[in-house]
Amino acid sequence: MNAAQRILAQPATRAFIALGLIVSLGFVFHADGAFHKWSTHRDMLRQVSEHGILACGMTIVILTAGIDLSVGSVLGLVAVVFSLMSIHWGWNPVLAVGACLALGAACGTVSGSVIARFGVQPFIATLAMMVFARGLAKYVSGGQKISQSVQNADGSFGYVELPRVFDALDARILGGNVSVVTIIFLVCVVVTWVLLARMRPGRHLYAIGGNEYAAHLSGVPVMRTKILAYALCGLFAAVAGICHAAQEYQGDPEAGVAYELTAIAIVVIGGTSLMGGRGSILLTLLGTLSIGYLEKILSINAVGEASRLMLTGGIIVAAVLLQRRRA
Amino acid sequence: MSIRSVSRALSAALLMAVLVLPAFGGSGTEADPWVIGMSQCNLGEPWRVQMNADIEAAAKDKQNIKLVYKDAQNDTLKQRSHIEEFVGQGIDLLIISPKEAAPLTPPVKKAYDAGIPVIVLDRRVMGDNYTQFIGADNKLIGEAAGIWVANALRGKGKVVELKGLMTSTPGQDRHSGFRKGIEGSDIEVVFEADMQWLEPNARKEMESALARHDEIALVYAHNDPGAHGAWLAAKAAGRDKDMLFVGIDALPHEGQAYVAQGILAASFEYPTGGKEAIENALKILAGEDVPKEIVLKSRVFTPENLKNGGEWLGGDDTAEEDDEWDDLDFTPGQSGQPVL
Repeated sequence: MNAAQRILAQPATRAFIALGLIVSLGFVFHADGAFHKWSTHRDMLRQVSEHGILACGMTIVILTAGIDLSVGSVLGLVAVVFSLMSIHWGWNPVLAVGACLALGAACGTVSGSVIARFGVQPFIATLAMMVFARGLAKYVSGGQKISQSVQNADGSFGYVELPRVFDALDARILGGNVSVVTIIFLVCVVVTWVLLARMRPGRHLYAIGGNEYAAHLSGVPVMRTKILAYALCGLFAAVAGICHAAQEYQGDPEAGVAYELTAIAIVVIGGTSLMGGRGSILLTLLGTLSIGYLEKILSINAVGEASRLMLTGGIIVAAVLLQRRRA
Repeated sequence: MSIRSVSRALSAALLMAVLVLPAFGGSGTEADPWVIGMSQCNLGEPWRVQMNADIEAAAKDKQNIKLVYKDAQNDTLKQRSHIEEFVGQGIDLLIISPKEAAPLTPPVKKAYDAGIPVIVLDRRVMGDNYTQFIGADNKLIGEAAGIWVANALRGKGKVVELKGLMTSTPGQDRHSGFRKGIEGSDIEVVFEADMQWLEPNARKEMESALARHDEIALVYAHNDPGAHGAWLAAKAAGRDKDMLFVGIDALPHEGQAYVAQGILAASFEYPTGGKEAIENALKILAGEDVPKEIVLKSRVFTPENLKNGGEWLGGDDTAEEDDEWDDLDFTPGQSGQPVL
């Protein structure tokens, strides 16, 4: 194997090639030059940030050969609770954010405990959490969106001021060139990278995904590490939920339906193995960009819904096959 | 589990069922009220939550009826079994907002044949085996929106259309009605996209529209959350003041609130019919004749008329239960608010 082949065999190289191919589609179908504007790319980054944040947590869980189907529902639950706390209860933003992060982490801890302590399959345990969290979101919100509108005593509707934290999270900084949610996403990527590549629990996650029994025999605290993985995944889902509420100016109990599938698609397109033990957050970052550009290019070209779904399916398969090909 | 414990659990469940099952069927008195079953196809959409709330509000001070709600969670077969349960329990009247026509027509017919009056709300069933259909006309509402838009833009301008699900009848009707409404004007739809009724999608599609077109006069979205999503996109691009936003549904806490906040230039009401359903149910139970079909009147809400409760579309002589509207004198196009 010569040097070029070795580089080509790297998963990161392949993820780069997949991303490059998708971006080059954008230069071909640039929609009257819309693809050449920075604002298009900036908006793409904003749109995909939420999915990317979910994918950070999903990467951690998938590295342990698990899966978390509940992230979309936890996102919806947190969006509702965050809106309630900050719009209607007038909580201090720091307190509201803290409480919401704790809520997300608690959801993940419950799933993780059911998986690690009782040996329930991750698919089943997180499926249960997905249904439960969605129900809780609907219960807390009464099935209605939690927005600025409030019902007065006489039955009419008025509206309250939007807390500044919403504007702050939906704003753009650096001369209006980068959305705050994109920065939050990048912070999540860095935090995940530090955990996975620089800290002991990160190495434990890889070990469990590679061979759980062997990891146990070599002294890895399997149960604790697995619970930690799901707790972090829930925490990231909560971060995404807060971003979602801020970008919509409201908490929608139906928010985030099927987002878990996008998050899984991002991780897989990046090249992290669903079997666990192999992958990295860099791959997930590349996968996030691939999915983001794919959606953006289809959108600026105003491709119809039916063809859009078919093209997305086809391109995902193509990207994954490209990942798989042996050099 | 042993057979004994299974049978014990079963009998406990049976006992519970007997204890908690309400007595069905009534005679319309306060002591023995009529029981009305309400089968809702899903409560995931705020509009349907509003429909149930409207029903509840209309029934609140009526002592002679008692309502039982069931939510089919968007599952046709679940809704079918809900209807069958209602029939088995012998309710006095059935209100159903069906998920889809074909598979729910036979169970509705069975209820009707069993002597239970049936009010069908919003979506239709096939044939005529029901007592009354109450619904609004999306095509007319779309057309009213089109005419309003043509007037507001003085017959000329570039428009973005954010469509609901184009595989759904409301999406198709709100689209074709709108196109009919702007016919003959120089309104040009420069960008259209399917946002599947969802706000985040609407924001995404609107960002694409903004990237492609430097000049957009108005955004027409098939629902208010879609219009709100488009506004968020335009606001982020600093272009929200350059264009108008128009939505449909006008729920009190959604579209009407957006109008009050100055986000939407207009929201067209898609009435739920909940109030009308209860009014007609009472007539039917009292033995009165009711029309086979009621097409609900719709209102347009703008910042100017919001305080007065909106403006009825199609003139002022038609809103039967809102006599106060007869006194208002509307001229088409007055203050830029056209009427059909």
